[in-house]
Amino acid sequence: MAAAADRRFGIGLLTPIGLLYLFFLILPIGFFLSMGFFKYDVFGLYKPELTGENFARLVVDPYYLDIVALTLKLAGLTTLFSLLLGYPLAFFLTRTRSAWRGALMFLVVAPLTTGVIVRTYGWIVLMGAEGIVNKTLIAAGLIARPLQILHTETAVVIALVHILMPYMVFPLISSLAGQDPNLERAASTLGASRARCFLEVTLPLSRPGILMGSVLVFTLSAGSVVIPQLIGGKDVQMMGQSIYELVLHTLNWPLGSAMASLLVLLQFSIIFVYFRSNRRVRR
Amino acid sequence: MIARETILSLEGITKRYGDAGVVGPVDLTIGKGEFLTLLGPSGCGKTTTLQIIAGLLEPTDGRVSLSGRDITDAPPPQRDMGLVFQNYALFPHKTIFDNVAFGLRMRKVARTEIVDRVTEMLRIVGLPDIERRLPDQLSGGQRQRVALARALVIRPTILLLDEPLSNLDAMLRKRMRHEIRELQQRLGITTIFVTHDQDEAFEMSDRVALLDRGRIAQIGTPEELYDAPTTRFVAEFIGDANLIDAEVVSADGRGLVRLRIAGGSEMLARTSALDLGPGQGALLMIRPERIELADAAAPGTLPARVRQRVFSGERITLELDTSGGPITCTKPSLPQYRQLDPGMQVWLQPGDCRALRAS
Repeated sequence: MAAAADRRFGIGLLTPIGLLYLFFLILPIGFFLSMGFFKYDVFGLYKPELTGENFARLVVDPYYLDIVALTLKLAGLTTLFSLLLGYPLAFFLTRTRSAWRGALMFLVVAPLTTGVIVRTYGWIVLMGAEGIVNKTLIAAGLIARPLQILHTETAVVIALVHILMPYMVFPLISSLAGQDPNLERAASTLGASRARCFLEVTLPLSRPGILMGSVLVFTLSAGSVVIPQLIGGKDVQMMGQSIYELVLHTLNWPLGSAMASLLVLLQFSIIFVYFRSNRRVRR
Repeated sequence: MIARETILSLEGITKRYGDAGVVGPVDLTIGKGEFLTLLGPSGCGKTTTLQIIAGLLEPTDGRVSLSGRDITDAPPPQRDMGLVFQNYALFPHKTIFDNVAFGLRMRKVARTEIVDRVTEMLRIVGLPDIERRLPDQLSGGQRQRVALARALVIRPTILLLDEPLSNLDAMLRKRMRHEIRELQQRLGITTIFVTHDQDEAFEMSDRVALLDRGRIAQIGTPEELYDAPTTRFVAEFIGDANLIDAEVVSADGRGLVRLRIAGGSEMLARTSALDLGPGQGALLMIRPERIELADAAAPGTLPARVRQRVFSGERITLELDTSGGPITCTKPSLPQYRQLDPGMQVWLQPGDCRALRAS
């Protein structure tokens, strides 16, 4: 009785948000994604005729194939560097007994408190031809003319790593902080050096954090639009920009929708792999 | 007690925790093959002392030596000690085999020997056939045994046990006491055991060091601690004790004193405080089971009145009022004691009295 009442109450609570999601998220996105199977039409945006040509074009047309490959490459590199830079940071933050620990934690979150555009313009100021980096290098006599930093893949990866760092660091911190400190002590009394303790105990036990952080950073960087647009420009085309272009400028909705479907599929498969491997750890 | 060759000694070991307090100075020697327990209430410094021995904590002051070698600054991997933690600290991502094999792998023992020794050790602790499982698939008792196997398989010079039984249920705890003691005897391994449980300490140990506020209050065999406590803390922590304020009437200077309690009764008591002299205050300690009851006054008896009789199966506890204050007396649950009702007059004949310095 009470359980049935609770159930009804729960359903009642979920109804408004459920309807909102259905009508303003699931239906429009479903409609947009299904458009990928329609034929492109110059005048009517699309013709209601089923076809696979949009998806075929993504994998056959080298222009689009390059965009997909570049997206995977830059998202992969961003994930790798976030992990390499974020792990020592997370490790330090969980181990330090410094009174500054709270302040340092705040610094990790701080980037999230400013908008992505502001931070991206910050990078432009630094990396532009007239930017601080080039000016400093020229003043130091290391280079004669400004280096091309903006509009390179490196610049995009640097900016993505910077902006997505908190998404890597926080899962790592939570998995490192959750470890029983006695495990490392046990390993050391059993004869393990500090390095072995880390490799045998700390690192494998932080696997859930590594996976979680990597999945977040990978999916967020693969889907990013603003950073590749502002820092990469025309020279570094990623899927997000390309969808934006196709939908708003080229007005080829079916192809844009196919590209968007592919992006969502990529992200979902990464998340799927994450849940699979996490389950294996817990058994 | 058999004379043993000293294997580990602590000299003036001190650990200061800022304003939070201080442990030590602790002086302690442990003989080869001995089972020594650090016993005490929580916060008495027993775990701190154990961690200093294991090398997990650095002492602020003092020296630790192992077989004559100074190891005060040696990191844990160089100490060759097997430590079993209260929460076992098994590696959750490694199988039971890999957990037990860990110390051997760190010592670069050959693979075939590792397999032999791990299998043998799991058999010794009574857990064959679980090598492929993960720690969270085991019961508390099994995890405890795996932790023991992991610490013992490296053939440590000293086995350190940090309250290893406190997470087990009462039945299992009793069984593990005997198992651990038997294993220790069979392997002849020097063992230091930390606990707050007096029964555990007494049933398992060759010697017990009772700690109080960071210092050793008394160290000795369980019998010595029970029969001849030197301070009020020891007398009260170990077993039950009747403590009665008294005054020294005479002392022979060799450990025998005559005490007078309120009401004028006098009693002979042994003491380790040889400086107790006539006129000084002292504490008279009588263990509840060492009191004989008589139904008529006789020389050396103390008149008392029964206040309460508590029956608990094999035992009867009598709460008695005397001129010196309340006294508790325990008796086997026999008919003559069951008849003692509140209000009845009895005469007490205390045996094995001890005189302690008044605190």
